[in-house]
Amino acid sequence: MWLPIRIDEQRPEPLYHQIEVQLRGLILSGQLKESTLLPSIRELAVSLKCSAITVRRVYQDLENEGLIRTRQGTGTFVAGVDTIARDEHRLERATEELERAVAAGLQLQCTVAELEALFQQIIRRKAEEGKEGLT
Amino acid sequence: MTVTTDTEAAVSLRGVKLQHDKFVLGPLQCDIPRGMVTAIVGPNGSGKSTLFRSLLGLEPIQAGEAEVLGSRLNGGQGDSYKTRIGFLAENPHSHENNLTADEKAKFSSYWYPNWDFERYYKLLRHFDVDGSVKLSKLSKGMRRKVELSITLAHDPELLLLDEPSSGLDPFAWKTMLEELRRYMEPGDRTLILATHIMEEIRRLADYILFIYRGRILGMYEKDRLLDDWRTLVVQQQPAVGTSIELLQRTPGLQGLTEAGPGLYRLEVDEPEQGETYCRSCGFQVLAVQRMELEDILSCLIRKEEARR
Repeated sequence: MWLPIRIDEQRPEPLYHQIEVQLRGLILSGQLKESTLLPSIRELAVSLKCSAITVRRVYQDLENEGLIRTRQGTGTFVAGVDTIARDEHRLERATEELERAVAAGLQLQCTVAELEALFQQIIRRKAEEGKEGLT
Repeated sequence: MTVTTDTEAAVSLRGVKLQHDKFVLGPLQCDIPRGMVTAIVGPNGSGKSTLFRSLLGLEPIQAGEAEVLGSRLNGGQGDSYKTRIGFLAENPHSHENNLTADEKAKFSSYWYPNWDFERYYKLLRHFDVDGSVKLSKLSKGMRRKVELSITLAHDPELLLLDEPSSGLDPFAWKTMLEELRRYMEPGDRTLILATHIMEEIRRLADYILFIYRGRILGMYEKDRLLDDWRTLVVQQQPAVGTSIELLQRTPGLQGLTEAGPGLYRLEVDEPEQGETYCRSCGFQVLAVQRMELEDILSCLIRKEEARR
C-alpha cells in the first residue's frame, strides 16, 4: 500500500525522524485505521528511497510506542489508538507549527510584542472568517 | 518481513589482496551484511568486477582471507557454495551466442539444485522476452533481461550483479527494480550490486561500499551518509574582519570553494557543529542543504586524490 509520506530535502532532521513523525501522525490522526496492513520494510524503503535500516528503526520505535504491531509471517499492522494519545498528538502538532511560525518571525527581526499582536490579530480574523463561513 | 541482524556477514574480507598485470586490488577489509543491499560504487577501473570474480573463485586471492556464505576461499573450498550464489557478469559470454535463453536455462538447471523453471518462466514473462530466440539474435537489453531471469531463477542466497541495468530501457529497468525488491522481501537474501546509476543506489541500497583505485575508501550506511553531509553557504560580514583561514578550521569540513565575493560554499559531514562554528566566526549562514549522493562521492574522491 502507498503511504502519503514525503521526505523534505530542506529539513535538517534525519530521514528516520522525518518518516517516523509522519507515520505517527497518520496513525494518531486516524488517517490510518486500526488493523491496516502497512507496507513491508523493503517495500517502504524502496518507495521512500531510503534504506531498510531506516524503515526498520521507524517500525521498531512505533511498535515500542504501541502504535503498530508485527505479526510473524503476516506483516505489520496499525494498532488501536486511545483518545488521550490522539489529543496529546493534536497539541504537539499545533505546537510544532506555531514554533515554526515564531522562528520565521524572529528571523525577520520581529519583536516579541509584534509577534503577540500578530497572533491575536490572526486568531480574531480566523474566528471572523469562521463565523462568516457558517452563515 | 524480518531483517536479519547486520552483524551476520554474507561476505567477509580480511586483508584480501590480489594482483594481475599492473592492477592491484586490496588489501580489502570489510563485512558485507546479510539481508541487506550493498552497492559497490567507484569510477571505472576501481576493481569492482575483479572483486566479484574473486568472490566466485575466478581470481586467486594472493593474500588475506575471504569468506563467502560461510565458506573460506582458500583454493580448496570446492564449488558447492557457488550454487547458492546468483552471478550476473558485466558482459555476456560469447560462447553462449548460439544457445537460446531456454537452452541456457536448461543448462543452468543442472548446476543449481534450487533451480525453479516456474520462477524462470515467470521472470521471462515479467521482462517480456521470448525464451526460444538465440541469444546472439537478441538486442543488448533483451539479452540482459534473459540473463537477469536466469540469475534469479534459483532464488540464490547471495546475488552478485555487475552493472545489471546496462542496456535496459526505462520500463525494463523498473521491472528489474521490482524483481530485486521482491527478491529481497524474505529478509534473509543478500544483494551486492556494482553500479554507476545513482538512482539505482537511491532506490535499492542500504549500504554503499566505495572503491577507488583498488582500495576501499569506505563502507557507509546510505541514509547516514545522506543525513550527515550538508552544503553550507556562508557570507562574510563586512563589519567583522573574517577570513577564509578561519573557515578552513570548520569542524567536519570536507570541501571549501569560493562562490562569489565574500561568499563561500562548504561541504561538511558534521553540519550542526559546522554551522555553529561558522556563526561564531562571524559568518552569516545563508543556506544549509542536503547533498546529492554523487556530490558526496566526488567529494570523497577529491579528498583521497589530495592525500595521494
